[in-house]
Amino acid sequence: MSVVNSNILYDSLKEIKTEGEFLGSIITKCNDEDNSIIFSDNIKISNLEGIYINDGLKVGFEIISNKKSAYSKKENYHWDEDFSEIDYCVLIPSEIMQLYDEGQFSDAFPFTLNLLHTSGLYLHDFDFEINHLEFFKGEILKNPVSKILNGIIVADRVVIDYRGDSVFYDCLIVGRDKHENLNVSYEPLMNVNDKVVEYIIILGIEELKI
Amino acid sequence: MLLYENKKAKLMNFLKLGLNPFKKFVSTGEIEEESDFVKSRKNLLESLKETIERDENFIFPVIGDVGTGKTHLFWALKNKLYYHNTIYISLEKVSNKFFYNTYSEFVEAIGVEPLRNIVNQLCNEWGALERRFGFFHVVDIEKVRKAAFEKLSTKFEPSERSALIDIINGITTHQLDPYKKIEAEGWLLGELMNVRELSRLSLMHDLRNSKTAFTMLKLMIENSKLGTVIFIDDFEKVITMIKPIEEGKDLEDIEEVFDPKWLYGNKPRPETIVSEKVIHKILKLNQIKGLRIIITLNSLSSLEEIKKIIHDIDTDSIIKFMEPVFLREFDADDTLEFYQNNMRIFLENIKFVETYEESFDKFFPLNEKILRNIHKNAKGNPREIIKILIKIFNQIMFSDEKLEEIVLSYEEAY
Repeated sequence: MSVVNSNILYDSLKEIKTEGEFLGSIITKCNDEDNSIIFSDNIKISNLEGIYINDGLKVGFEIISNKKSAYSKKENYHWDEDFSEIDYCVLIPSEIMQLYDEGQFSDAFPFTLNLLHTSGLYLHDFDFEINHLEFFKGEILKNPVSKILNGIIVADRVVIDYRGDSVFYDCLIVGRDKHENLNVSYEPLMNVNDKVVEYIIILGIEELKI
Repeated sequence: MLLYENKKAKLMNFLKLGLNPFKKFVSTGEIEEESDFVKSRKNLLESLKETIERDENFIFPVIGDVGTGKTHLFWALKNKLYYHNTIYISLEKVSNKFFYNTYSEFVEAIGVEPLRNIVNQLCNEWGALERRFGFFHVVDIEKVRKAAFEKLSTKFEPSERSALIDIINGITTHQLDPYKKIEAEGWLLGELMNVRELSRLSLMHDLRNSKTAFTMLKLMIENSKLGTVIFIDDFEKVITMIKPIEEGKDLEDIEEVFDPKWLYGNKPRPETIVSEKVIHKILKLNQIKGLRIIITLNSLSSLEEIKKIIHDIDTDSIIKFMEPVFLREFDADDTLEFYQNNMRIFLENIKFVETYEESFDKFFPLNEKILRNIHKNAKGNPREIIKILIKIFNQIMFSDEKLEEIVLSYEEAY
């Protein structure tokens, strides 16, 4: 299922800015060096007050002790006038979220691994490469978030197959097409070659509970 | 290309294989009845359906003599009520462990998948699908259980609260804990469990416990998207269980081997106690929101007696008894229609290519005269009519006589 140009709240490339207060499932992609992503259930966009996210979860990488580490931070985010830090901001349609919800609690995968703290599974970076795909081969990991070329995948679980490629299950995909238009889609299963993956972060269950 | 086929001879060959179109003369709640109601009874069925769809929380008495088709009515009703779970209950079977057995019948009637849907929907209502940061389902079973208890505790009596906690634990474990899902499903389906199995699921009782079974039944019926109809057959059993030996009647008259008073003195007989308990439980069942109860009885006097017994047992009870409907004996045309319906179903079942009406004279291998005679002889009682038809067809199937001779003998015999 795919929805084109629907519920786009902000798009820096197409100069879209929809004013208002929005509730639901919102993905905000940042324009920073590490392509970090903010997940939130609310956003307020206005010409006067700028863009405000209350209690968002920012996911990305940061350098600690000369090494890149994945993080997820719960914070309030506010941009007054300069929105250059934001690439786009999309409200996922409720019918797609319903499909995503229905894919949860699958009986077929009872033995999934929940990581307690957010960790990087894979990072394609010349200086700070991370690759734990081999280690987790055959395992099912819960709550992966991935940046792939022009898109973002948020899935319920990811399995590393025998080739070392990641297979995402119950995934929401947000990305730009060849005309740079934003698309939102749902796929029950998606096989991704690790060559196109920029990063995969596994969200820690304890950090989600906070 | 087949130019001509002797269809009558073909049907006779089928019959000679030992296939009787009329097999059973007693309808049961277990074996589905395929044949439809005859036209004269369709109004009764429609009015019953309308009442069920319009009203709820009532007891609807259906009165009819032995063999008039009261149990068949259950199947006709079940096939007609698409938006209801229709459950057959025989008091003989459920009087011990009433709620547990009624729950088992309920689960059997609705099937496992709808049961899973109900518990899934309940868990969602209790906040199991809450999304953190708009996306992530972080299952906090304790939080869901707390929300469920807060939501439900006011709807149940204080004495049922410990059962309610058990049920909330069972349902949330089934839906939210993949490691215990299989055991929890067993519990949900009414599987008997030992202490170790129960403690693994953090439960006190399995559904044999009366309060747990009732609370579960109530939760399922009230949260099912379909309405629920409980069809209690032969409700008179309650009277026969409860009534002591009538004064002035000889033991020989009622074929009792001994007077129960020899054993129990002036204390009530165990049957009386069981019967009173059953009535109490039916009164309790009637409190479940949205439930419709249909009872079948042999006579109007039995209904009056039951009303009196219920009043004696619980003077405060407010039960809505609907006006009873009566199942009459067949008239002659009903008998003819019933015969044709059965023959049609028989031909369909044996994969006879042509339909009954296209292939045969109206009532082949019998004729209208025999059927009218049968009706007269059986005094219109459907069960007696079927018994005679079975006998005639057995003779057609197994005797060496020609069909014409058998037909002639039955034309004269009745």
